[in-house]
Amino acid sequence: MRHTRPASFGWLLAHEMRVALRARQTKAATRWIGYAVIAVIVGFGLLTAKGLAGTPIPATPMALLIVLTATIALFSFMTTQAVLGSQRTLYEAGDLDLLFSAPIAPRTVLMAKLCGIAGTIVLTFAIFLLPFAVPVAALGHPGLFGVIPLLAAVAMVAACLGLAITLVLARIAGPRAARTVGQVAAALLGGAVFLTTQIVNAGEHRRQSSWQTLFERLRDDGFGASYAGQLPGRAAFGDPVAIVLLFGSALALFLVTGLIFRRLFERGVADAGQHLNRRTASTKAIARHFRAGLFASIMAKEVTLLRRDPALTFRILLRLIYLIPLMLIGFRSDHHLPLAPGLAFFSVTIAGQLVGSFAWLAVSAEDAPDLITVAPVDKAEIDRAKLGAAMAIAAPIALLVPIAIATISPIAALIAILFTAAGGAAAGMIELKLGKPAPRSNFNRQRPGSFVTRLLTLMVTIVLGAISGIAVYFVG
Amino acid sequence: MTDDALRLTGVCKAFDKPVITDLDLAIAPGQLYALLGPNGAGKTTTLRMVVGLTPPDRGRIAIYGIDIARDANAAKAITAWLPDEPMIYDKLSPAEYLAFVAGLWRIPPGEAAAEAERLLRWLELWDVRDARCEGFSRGMKQKVALAGALIHKPRLLILDEPLTGLDAAMARSVKDVLRAHADAGHTVIVTTHILEVAERLADRIGIIAGGKLHAEGTLAELRALAGEDEATLEDTFIRLTQPAREAA
Repeated sequence: MRHTRPASFGWLLAHEMRVALRARQTKAATRWIGYAVIAVIVGFGLLTAKGLAGTPIPATPMALLIVLTATIALFSFMTTQAVLGSQRTLYEAGDLDLLFSAPIAPRTVLMAKLCGIAGTIVLTFAIFLLPFAVPVAALGHPGLFGVIPLLAAVAMVAACLGLAITLVLARIAGPRAARTVGQVAAALLGGAVFLTTQIVNAGEHRRQSSWQTLFERLRDDGFGASYAGQLPGRAAFGDPVAIVLLFGSALALFLVTGLIFRRLFERGVADAGQHLNRRTASTKAIARHFRAGLFASIMAKEVTLLRRDPALTFRILLRLIYLIPLMLIGFRSDHHLPLAPGLAFFSVTIAGQLVGSFAWLAVSAEDAPDLITVAPVDKAEIDRAKLGAAMAIAAPIALLVPIAIATISPIAALIAILFTAAGGAAAGMIELKLGKPAPRSNFNRQRPGSFVTRLLTLMVTIVLGAISGIAVYFVG
Repeated sequence: MTDDALRLTGVCKAFDKPVITDLDLAIAPGQLYALLGPNGAGKTTTLRMVVGLTPPDRGRIAIYGIDIARDANAAKAITAWLPDEPMIYDKLSPAEYLAFVAGLWRIPPGEAAAEAERLLRWLELWDVRDARCEGFSRGMKQKVALAGALIHKPRLLILDEPLTGLDAAMARSVKDVLRAHADAGHTVIVTTHILEVAERLADRIGIIAGGKLHAEGTLAELRALAGEDEATLEDTFIRLTQPAREAA
């Protein structure tokens, strides 16, 4: 920032990047683990580069198609990040009032923010991609340096689309609904490739990965072989015309977005600053809110908080949607997976996922932890009540599969219910013991907390699910 | 002999460096007590230890004779804590928040609902009782938290900077609530940087500096201690805390 003129576009951009990077700073231990992971990736990248040093990597139609498939997948994830980044910029960053009150052109502010969103996205994906691409390019395949402008171009387009989605939603639905709808849209975009291809797979009774399906579609409908379809691949392999076309188009779109959306952005900022409240006069009796007992009070609070955050509920349920295609694969006739034991396994897995998420919300994502601490209630009692609330909230969904099993065998359903409850309880207990407190709003990006907690939850529920399936197989 | 509303004996607390050292403090029931001190004097740490949020390294804390180390829940049942940042849920309405707090303190629903209605009307929140707190101003949030603190009729109400960020009208209504609570025979302890509030509102004033109780008494007693009978509390405060500030 010292080398740029204060209040210039470059100066603002440097500020944006600094703020974005500092927002990602974590504890020293986590940071060192991150460094170690990056070192391993770089190591693999160097090994790969050394291995490929003498081998030509031609830009065959197959290679170009692979790059196109990867670019589409990358674009889907980047757009998700861009929507969330735009929402943070509009509703959470809190510096827009300062920036707009400063003697800086609003367009400069918008462009800097847009660059900040794109830059953050590039950084995220560059960490995983460039340690492979750069060494390979440096050791005998200089054309592959084209991956860098390709990455930047895709990030710029994603940033434009993410901002456009956020601003248009804010215009149509109003600032309150825009946050919720935007988060739902972001979640859907993140899983768009996966969900679409799985639906296609299910319709055609095929069993293959999302990426394979996408690849085949692009190949079969001819788009992959068209010049437009080959552009990302050509750019990645260093074709200067493709690079100029792609990067230039992305840059032009970037500038046009800055022009077109300036007014909408300013309006969005003004709306975001409003108090988001529906102050309708209430005529109902206050007594309806008051319940006897600690569990009932905690249950009421957790259900209300969840009900008021539909985006959060949607994210949790989306995880289950991701499981459905896996279930369909498992039960196809060519796999001969027995129905009831298979369902019992999935029932426990689903319950584990659900209760784990709800327990995280109830236990770790407590917005007023001091209030709970100063209350005259033992922590263990609060924890039990919260675990009970998490299980009760998850129950209506978690019991759907056991009910389906009951149509095959009531005894098998009983076993499935027992193990489903055990799986849910185990997931909840793991969250109680190992969960890391974090603001509830963090869940709108991803479930924060220890990787160990999530891995342990998954392992325990898979083991319990397997035991449940075996028990149902032999008893049911 | 009645127990003190709050008694701290030889309380010590250190984080990176000592914050509270051998603090002795006794507050009689039915008083509105203002705890003053320079920034970093240890006021908030002291109050957080009293309500059980920060364990003391050493010493004894008793609320109405109940040792908080021996029976924390009994002490908490008669205590309320209102920090400077209100402990509320943005997505809940004032009525839902009060219902939750009443549940934590195990107040029978009928009794809690009646008290909630009284408090919401008194604090002029009745019309917005079913609106989510997320759209409230800071002052309104503070009043919701105050209603939550009062719903179980605490014998000891502890507030950390309750008037920060409130406009004049809201500050006035909060001060009225505190005075009324003390006049009803309960004890109120309040920290504030607004010395005028302590001067006009408090029955007794304690000045904490350098982790110790530096001076304590009525305003007249503090003036006498400072050697200036006609001085304002501000002058008295500055004079009494001068040695501690110089030592720091």
